[in-house]
Amino acid sequence: MRVQRKKRRRPIVPISAMSDIAFLLLIFIMLISLINYRREIPIQYPEAEKLETTQSEKNLEIWVDRSGGLYVQGVRYDRSGIEGIVAEGIMRNPSLRIHILADRDTPYKNVHTVMEILQTLQHRVVSLVVRDRRAE
Amino acid sequence: MRIRIPRRTGADIGESGTLSDLAFLLIIFFIVIAVFNVNRGFLLGLPRPDSKRVVQRQDLLQADLARDGSIRVEGRVMSLSELSTRLRETRRLRPNMTFALRIDPDTPYQRVVDMIDLVRRLDIDNFSFSMGNLSALGDKE
Repeated sequence: MRVQRKKRRRPIVPISAMSDIAFLLLIFIMLISLINYRREIPIQYPEAEKLETTQSEKNLEIWVDRSGGLYVQGVRYDRSGIEGIVAEGIMRNPSLRIHILADRDTPYKNVHTVMEILQTLQHRVVSLVVRDRRAE
Repeated sequence: MRIRIPRRTGADIGESGTLSDLAFLLIIFFIVIAVFNVNRGFLLGLPRPDSKRVVQRQDLLQADLARDGSIRVEGRVMSLSELSTRLRETRRLRPNMTFALRIDPDTPYQRVVDMIDLVRRLDIDNFSFSMGNLSALGDKE
């Protein structure tokens, strides 16, 4: 009697499942970066050497351009407008981190205006966003 | 005679793995973009608007930062490196030294950042800065 040997089938790795996983991950990361999306104002960042990461869980960025214009999320506001936004943000989340992103050539008084607003609202911590000089 | 023509089988885009490669490349791109959004700089504690702190006169080193970016300590114009040496020396003699900086409203922000950076590099804990009009001072000297 002739015994038929069973042929060993080579294992197949389903690559199509891999691309499914990859696309799910892709959608997830795209959504996260959309949430983190920020509207940048064209400024020249100031530079320094000894920096620390100032990012917090909840952040509010106030942009100061060269001429002293104040912006939040790409929209220009006057002093009272910024005051209202900051007050509302702090009320919603007291641990909100305020970041000041100011142009390197703007007069200091424009940055001081934002600091004065924070002091008036009894907000104690501020982050001055600066670029790493050594990275350039 | 029968000739067999080999049939062309179209490459399955899903099976070939190119799709997953593309997706992973896009993932890396978006992760890198997300990392770029991390803010770095200086974290400062703001005092109350009316708060005052008593400091011994000997422990106080006062400097003025003028609108042209020049630094004056006790009426003498100094470079950033000279100020650095002065701060080091003063702190060695007076460990409780407080460095108070008065900034002209029209000083370019980069110069203020340079001063804060210097203070950070020297690990000076007692540092305060305020805004004041220095034009009168500049005219006198």
